[in-house]
Amino acid sequence: MVGEEHVSMIPAAPSEVWSAEVNGQNQEVLAPSNAILLDVLRDKAGCLGVKRGCDMGTCGCCTVLIDGEPRLSCLTMAQDAAGCSITTVEGLADGAHLAPIQQCFADHGGSQCGFCTPGFLITSQALLTKNSNPTDKEVACAIEGNLCRCTGYQQIIESIQAAAAIHRGESESARPASDAHPDPHPSGPEEPTMPPGHAR
Amino acid sequence: MLMPPFELHRPSTVEEACSLAAKLIESGQDFDWIAGGTDLIPNYKWHINTKPHVISLAGIDGVSTISMNEIGCMARLHDIAEGGDAHPLVAEAASKVASSLIRRNATLGGNLCLDTRCFWYNQAEEWRSSIDWCHKCDCGTGSDCRVIPNQNELCVATYQGDVAPTLMVLDATVHLIGPNGARSVLLHDFYQLDGMTRNILQPGEFMLKITLPEDVEDWTGSYRKLRVRESWDFPEAGAAAAWKKGDRSTLRVATTALESIPRRHDEEVANSNGDVKAICDAIYKSTKPVNNTALPPRYRRNMIKVLVKRACEE
Ligand SMILES: Cc1cc2nc3c(=O)[nH]c(=O)nc-3n(C[C@H](O)[C@H](O)[C@H](O)COP(=O)(O)OP(=O)(O)OC[C@H]3O[C@@H](n4cnc5c(N)ncnc54)[C@H](O)[C@@H]3O)c2cc1C
Ligand code: SF4
Ligand code: FES
Ligand code: FES
Repeated sequence: MVGEEHVSMIPAAPSEVWSAEVNGQNQEVLAPSNAILLDVLRDKAGCLGVKRGCDMGTCGCCTVLIDGEPRLSCLTMAQDAAGCSITTVEGLADGAHLAPIQQCFADHGGSQCGFCTPGFLITSQALLTKNSNPTDKEVACAIEGNLCRCTGYQQIIESIQAAAAIHRGESESARPASDAHPDPHPSGPEEPTMPPGHAR
Repeated sequence: MLMPPFELHRPSTVEEACSLAAKLIESGQDFDWIAGGTDLIPNYKWHINTKPHVISLAGIDGVSTISMNEIGCMARLHDIAEGGDAHPLVAEAASKVASSLIRRNATLGGNLCLDTRCFWYNQAEEWRSSIDWCHKCDCGTGSDCRVIPNQNELCVATYQGDVAPTLMVLDATVHLIGPNGARSVLLHDFYQLDGMTRNILQPGEFMLKITLPEDVEDWTGSYRKLRVRESWDFPEAGAAAAWKKGDRSTLRVATTALESIPRRHDEEVANSNGDVKAICDAIYKSTKPVNNTALPPRYRRNMIKVLVKRACEE
């Protein structure tokens, strides 16, 4: 899909086709050459789970996986991520079944207002993929670039440790993906129909 | 925030980058280099000294090598800190930069060429307009400096990079390349004492790599940093020390985040006969931080004694 260009009031940088694999789907959009990955993901690819917190690299709300590595999308030029495989928080769940890390955040109070949660989920998923037996210190180091104003971080560390136990096979997810838990969207989530930049 | 309307160029070889730079200079168009972007992008989002063109070094092959004696400009701080290939002191300094997420974008070249910082300057456009700008980004108004008032000749914005002092005490050489050819200088001659010029880079020139002396493996030491929070704050003061293992007479000390450039303190060390307390006092006397970062200059100046002492500990 090639998006339409806006008629803007300020001088705009020349646009180019930008393509990448976003949550397993090929995305092809028209983006100006000065575009930041965060803006392309939110406004063009419809991934509104990528949050704009500070827009300056301090809060970690905009974290996405680029080729499996957690990166700040607000400080990444879209061009630098072209052709890569990008995972946003929307891509963590397996259909209607939450990933262990998501389920554990819900079960252990790792999320309160929820604004920081997408960033924390992505950063902790990256940690667990690499190391399913982290110490609390390693968890704290991994999430040092993510800020949370609500939880005080303790519940977040507990959620990550609980998910790590599931990854190690030591405990079971409260609702494992293989259970008969019915899928509320049997045909899969609908395509975004709202114009870019508007909440679904 | 709205990005300013610049055009991004992505050369894939060093030669292409140089000829692109030469072409832009010839046609009178201003441009900036971008590496990881963790310093340039926030500044651009705040519309600070933006240029109509930006040349990215990210697409160039072969400039991110990391070894004991050589590190390419595009080597990421994350890889330097955790890859196990760099000198342990360089890895230690890199691991103290910003947060683990930022280090995955941040590069060594960007860290060494970091723009100087000042709390009258690293602010949103509306904020800066409300104080009628300052000399470093005066938007054509000829504003004075807010830190040293009644003059608009000098900018004393602070260099707050973490890796430079460590590379200085290890005697690193920087290799620069541009449309007029390549040259190399010692890192401690690379910086220029002015918050706006910052370093000796000529228009169109960029940093290709740094190299370390053959015997660098025999050197040890440490880097100490004063910061507000452990997670990602810039250094408010920093000190690195290194000496050849088993030979304290080779001690070298360098500091950062105290003035517009990081500085190696050869004179202070030479005059102190290896007495660490005397070195601390001499460095305390010769550094004069100004009031333009988060912590008060008197505190930063006092802390430099503590940091140098701890960095020199065996
Ligand atoms: C929240 C936050 C916290 C931070 N904390 C720290 C910290 O604690 N310590 C610290 O040292 N830094 C810190 N930084 C600054 C920055 O992240 C690092 O210094 C980083 O290493 C800069 O590298 P970069 O590749 O992202 O630079 P860029 O932003 O790409 O470039 C920085 C500057 O250097 C120039 N440049 C880049 N590469 C070259 C080259 N090869 N040749 C010539 N010029 C070049 C660019 O034109 C630009 O002016 C922080 C940044 C943020 C956003
Ligand atoms: S030191 Fe002065 S001129 Fe430089 S950025 Fe700060 S206020 Fe502006
Ligand atoms: S929005 Fe990217 S770090 Fe805050
Ligand atoms: S849950 Fe509210 S900011 Fe983290």
